[in-house]
Amino acid sequence: MNLALTELRRRPGRFTVATIVLTFLSLLLLLLGGLLDGLFLGSTGAIRAQRVDVIVYSDTARDSFLRSRITPDVRESVEATDGVQEVGGLGFTLLGATVPDETDLADVAVAGYEIAPSGVPDPPPAGHAWADERLQDAGVSIGDTLLVGPARSPVVVDGWVEDTNYLLQGALWVTLDTWREVQNANRPDAFVGDGVVQVLAVRGDGDAGALAAAIDDATGVTSTLTRDDAVFALPGVKEQKSTFNAIIWSTLAVVLAVVGLFFSLLTLERTGLYGVLKAIGASTRRLFAGVVLQAVVVAVIAFVVGGVLAFLADLALPGQVPLQLTTGRYVFTFVALVVAAVLGSAISLRRVTRIDPASAIGSAA
Amino acid sequence: MFLAVTEMKRAKVRFGLLSGAVGLLVFLIMFQQALSTGLIDQFIGALKNQSADVLVFNEQARKNLEGSIVLPDQQAAVGEVDGVAVAAPLGEGTFTVLTGGSDEETDAVIFGYQLGGPGAPTTLVEGRLPEATGEAVASSRNADEGFDIGDTITVLANAGGEAATFTVVGLAEEINYSVSPVLFTDFAGFEAAKRAVNPDATDVLPSVIAVQVADGADAGEVAAAITAAVDGTEALTRQQAVDGSPGVSSVRQSFSVILLLFYLVVPLVTGLFFLIVTFQKAGALTLLRAIGSPAGVLVRALLIQVVVVVLTGSVIAVGLFWLAAQGGGGGLAISVEPGPVLFTTVLVLVLALATSLAAVRRVLRIDPIAATTGAGVQVG
Repeated sequence: MNLALTELRRRPGRFTVATIVLTFLSLLLLLLGGLLDGLFLGSTGAIRAQRVDVIVYSDTARDSFLRSRITPDVRESVEATDGVQEVGGLGFTLLGATVPDETDLADVAVAGYEIAPSGVPDPPPAGHAWADERLQDAGVSIGDTLLVGPARSPVVVDGWVEDTNYLLQGALWVTLDTWREVQNANRPDAFVGDGVVQVLAVRGDGDAGALAAAIDDATGVTSTLTRDDAVFALPGVKEQKSTFNAIIWSTLAVVLAVVGLFFSLLTLERTGLYGVLKAIGASTRRLFAGVVLQAVVVAVIAFVVGGVLAFLADLALPGQVPLQLTTGRYVFTFVALVVAAVLGSAISLRRVTRIDPASAIGSAA
Repeated sequence: MFLAVTEMKRAKVRFGLLSGAVGLLVFLIMFQQALSTGLIDQFIGALKNQSADVLVFNEQARKNLEGSIVLPDQQAAVGEVDGVAVAAPLGEGTFTVLTGGSDEETDAVIFGYQLGGPGAPTTLVEGRLPEATGEAVASSRNADEGFDIGDTITVLANAGGEAATFTVVGLAEEINYSVSPVLFTDFAGFEAAKRAVNPDATDVLPSVIAVQVADGADAGEVAAAITAAVDGTEALTRQQAVDGSPGVSSVRQSFSVILLLFYLVVPLVTGLFFLIVTFQKAGALTLLRAIGSPAGVLVRALLIQVVVVVLTGSVIAVGLFWLAAQGGGGGLAISVEPGPVLFTTVLVLVLALATSLAAVRRVLRIDPIAATTGAGVQVG
């Protein structure tokens, strides 16, 4: 065990290139994961924050918020459905907004709501909004009056909320009436009448799946999803996740191959030395533990350096690149790297086992 | 040559692992390149392959077609700007539709343009352009999904609205938008679709104004003149509109960072491998030099191995890539094209040869006289 660490300390040069390669790979894993998380979290915040069980769309909307319309009579029949406790309307409009003293427009999602999502206070007064922190990057401050959309509808920012964005646009949480005003002024082609909302957020008793089915049965004109399904029904979310995960797992396979390759070469170089060590009583287990330990140390160093580089890259990349490095992503990458390193170094096990202590006699080692 | 190949035959696991690692890395590079170009093409194909020289967005839309509407007085003002030959409305919207043969609902993006004016698809491969309301050109990629010539597509109406139907009369390639099937139809058809889903709509405004510039006028200059002359608009040339589309630049940037890193990792891995192998063989190489092998022969053997490993890796990569293309890239159609595959292979080969120079230098530094000292060679 000590021998392995001593070698790492005395002959760091021998491990440098492998460490650099693994550092690049861990940086890649973190950036890929960070992009995936950034895209996912930034797109779905507004839905994940909903403290409800199911989301009710009109059945012609193909589970798209922007295309869904729920009229007051449909809402009444949802409210009358068994098991429904609380019903709130929701509506989103994606627009650009002029920020005071800024030349660039901010991308905003004006979100009308009734049931407060997690972290969002009760609806503000008409014309006012709780803004997502993401908008700070665009120069928005509390008290600012944003002019939203081509019609320049004024919305005053009253305070900040966290992680509530919709399709990578900064959410502005407003009352349903304010949302309707903004929508109708700026999107006359998608006019919403009084009492009309895009979707209903519903809290109820029992199993969410059963509640969704009961609502659809009762109205006949809706398509209801559980909140988690609604998150994945957002455009592109599912596809992004599967594609990025495929790339991440392939990269991990590369890590495994690189570690395996490197340590099998090292083991080859040490065959004579291992013969001697075995001759004087070292067990295969102990020698192999040394190899694994070195692989883990190299992986840990590569992870630390890669992690710092990823952090710096996050600071250096422009704000529009949706990179978001979460603690969970760091933990996942760390564990995955260490596991890949252990598995990779195990490729040398056969060679270490095969070494015959007797070979130490008569060879020049 | 002989030695190089024999060595590889004897150490199959080692060279196999290396080729496998290179293969996976090259595969990832090819896959991500295809993904990013496929993503971009299928996101903005409709913008790229339509006939307007300049598109006038609402300034507030941030170059996003979905978020743009142009007011009637803005449209009139655009027509007055010098260098504008034709200014016509172009509408865009995503709708839930029923396609010809099936009951299954699907998404489609409908573009409405003034027939005969700018904004028509330019990549027609079959059939003809629409000549009347109710006719449409569809994206050829989706022909099998109920968007073939002769198929009828119905835009589902919301309560109070009247369904709008279109008959496909032509197919054009590379005109997808937001990775969805696309229909190009006349503006009245687009308006009917909008009214089907929004019976309350007070007015259906164009998303952008499609401009055809006068003969001899420069599109870039006309665009700048429109932006300056018409308050609240942002005019972009076709290429600017494509490059500025939301997501396109960030997708490009993110992928280029990742691809750059992958391109760095491949040569590092091969360079590292051959350096270590050369160290290990130093004794044998010294002896070979001592009995008269010129350094050039040994270097050639090394380079041959690099080439064989990279080419084997590339073959593995193309195989994996082909499999991935069959399986579909997460809903995106990706295809194996010889151009990018060849480009990636050659680039990786050049980079791998460059990093193996470290090992070459090591070989060249070998002094045949060391063999006479009996101590082998100095390693390191």
